[in-house]
Amino acid sequence: MTEFLHLLACALYSIAALLGLRRREWPEAARWVNVLLTLGVVGQGAGFVALHARDPLVPLESFPAALSLIGWLIPTSYLYALRVASVGGVGHWVGCVAASITLIALIGLVQYQGDPAAAEIPGGSWSHAHVLLSTLGFSLLALTSLAGLAYLAKRTALKRNQTARFGLPSLESLDRMEHVTLGLGFSLLSLGVLTGFVWGQSRGLSPWTQHSRWLIIAWAVYLVPIGMRIVRHQHGDRPARVVVAGFGFLAFSYIGIRLLGMTA
Amino acid sequence: MNLILIGLNHRTAPVDVRERYALSEDRAFTLNEKLVLHASLVEGVVISTCNRTEIIAVADGAEKGEEALFQTFDALVPGNRAAREHFYVHRNRAAVEHLFRVAASLDSMVLGETQILGQVKRAYALAAQAGSCGAILNRLFHRAFRAAKRVRAETGLGATSISLARVGVQLAAEIFETLADKRLALVGAGEIAEASLHAFHESGLRSIVVLNRTPEAAARLAAPYDAQAASLSRLDSELAAADIVVSSVTVDRPVISTGQIQRTIAQRHQRSLLIIDLGLPRNVDPACKQIDDAYLYDVDDLEEVAQRGRDRRREAMVPAEAILALELEQFERWQAGLRAVPTIRNLVARTREIARREAQRTLVRMPDTSDETRDALERMADAIVAKLLHRPLDQLRNEAADQGPAYYAEAIREIFGLEEDEE
Repeated sequence: MTEFLHLLACALYSIAALLGLRRREWPEAARWVNVLLTLGVVGQGAGFVALHARDPLVPLESFPAALSLIGWLIPTSYLYALRVASVGGVGHWVGCVAASITLIALIGLVQYQGDPAAAEIPGGSWSHAHVLLSTLGFSLLALTSLAGLAYLAKRTALKRNQTARFGLPSLESLDRMEHVTLGLGFSLLSLGVLTGFVWGQSRGLSPWTQHSRWLIIAWAVYLVPIGMRIVRHQHGDRPARVVVAGFGFLAFSYIGIRLLGMTA
Repeated sequence: MNLILIGLNHRTAPVDVRERYALSEDRAFTLNEKLVLHASLVEGVVISTCNRTEIIAVADGAEKGEEALFQTFDALVPGNRAAREHFYVHRNRAAVEHLFRVAASLDSMVLGETQILGQVKRAYALAAQAGSCGAILNRLFHRAFRAAKRVRAETGLGATSISLARVGVQLAAEIFETLADKRLALVGAGEIAEASLHAFHESGLRSIVVLNRTPEAAARLAAPYDAQAASLSRLDSELAAADIVVSSVTVDRPVISTGQIQRTIAQRHQRSLLIIDLGLPRNVDPACKQIDDAYLYDVDDLEEVAQRGRDRRREAMVPAEAILALELEQFERWQAGLRAVPTIRNLVARTREIARREAQRTLVRMPDTSDETRDALERMADAIVAKLLHRPLDQLRNEAADQGPAYYAEAIREIFGLEEDEE
């Protein structure tokens, strides 16, 4: 059941991404992108809940469950961001990212046969807090990076006098989305890092795993745009470049090291 | 007589070439005066807008006239012979057609824009003031104005009209989420500045400052829009406060430099600054395009944005072209009708002379006649001539306009013995 719901969500996100590409020929497409993303969020939310009924049980700390949560949080945060900023033009990008992450989560779920090591480690509320806070932070920072990328693409297009090329929201909207999601995402990520250390301490594990090292590096990189924006009140393309780079480190700390088998 | 039009526009020359030939009103006026001093040029009108500089002239000979016009352009920018590839030359019908298209905004960068007709009218008024506009160009320009008005009224071009100023608003929407909380600094207080002010005000922008060399002119423009007015000396401080800068002053060198924009961007904490340079010669140093977070667009750059609305307006081109063709034909008929003018003039003079002579002869025999009666008799003689000649003159004009053989003209010259007079 959970696999089917994830597949359904993945399909809906993909259709939203494809439909978004047609929004210039068909103005109604933008509205349908949001409808499809909402349906996808509902479907994936149900699939995430159904993880608890799956046999073998997929714990929240597992890679597929964490990815599924991220895949759900990205479109959810975006749909919320729509209410506070005019950022409608990036819906198809969000659909594309959510579909990709949900697909990887789905593959992980299909292959998941239980993790004896995880069963031996006591989880408890710290582990749940760590996973929830850091995935929420990761999702918001994914949106930050998406807004940063869109900002840089739009800026380049405007500089080259190709204003209509991507049909993206205004630079100011993207900058605001980047600003808001960065502040929230960084705060949640910081709490996630902190709870992760507490969780590690409670398990008597070394705090310097590959995952935690890369997470700390990503967290430190994010201090740069935070400083630029909050301390120096900077806007524009420089903070955008740094948030894109920061997300590269963050994505590597979550996904890259697992794909490369660097988990310890 | 030959009609010759020589010029360059946004299609044939880049902005850095066009700005060298851009003329202020004073220079255009002087050039109009000089044109008719040239031996081979009879009439001439100089048209200079942000997208074109053209001279349309009536010349005795096509080659001589063309050479005279090129010499005029050479004198504008010494050593311009290398830039000849940017010029186009239209003669007679093609020249008339081109002028009609310009006035009707079919040749504009922004198809259907509203400002060009006003600019052509202004060019004509300057030439009329300078005394370089004669019967042919008077008639031609009035035809062009009439054609342009018909195009606007009878085709979709009027309904979807936009101006460069509105293109500027579209650009602002690409950069800013809303214009309601933004500040606009307008440099200049001319026609283009007014159009920009109107367009931005209509889009919801309310915080506006108009900067001009003469603050009185700025205040005049600002008042109806509840905007502020200031002298150009406050440019630096106003740049720092502005989100959008629209510049349209006539200057020899840029009024906004790279250094000014760099300082402004730093003061704004890298928030985006949109600069629209509608001036020709350009008002803003083109090197400002390289500055991060500053978005500078000159008149050439606006074409890309204008392209969006062009397809829709292109549908209105077919009926517009038909209107222009009709107006062109009517002007040509009038121009061809000029062939009959010497015959008509001589015929009217001859018959009026006969009638007056006969009236005088009658009056000699009536010595006690009052002045009023004498005047009435003379007026009656003129009226009889006019009534009698009405139809023959119409026939003469129509025959000439049809551009066929001049049977009536020949017959009349022979019957009334006008041949010798015309010679």
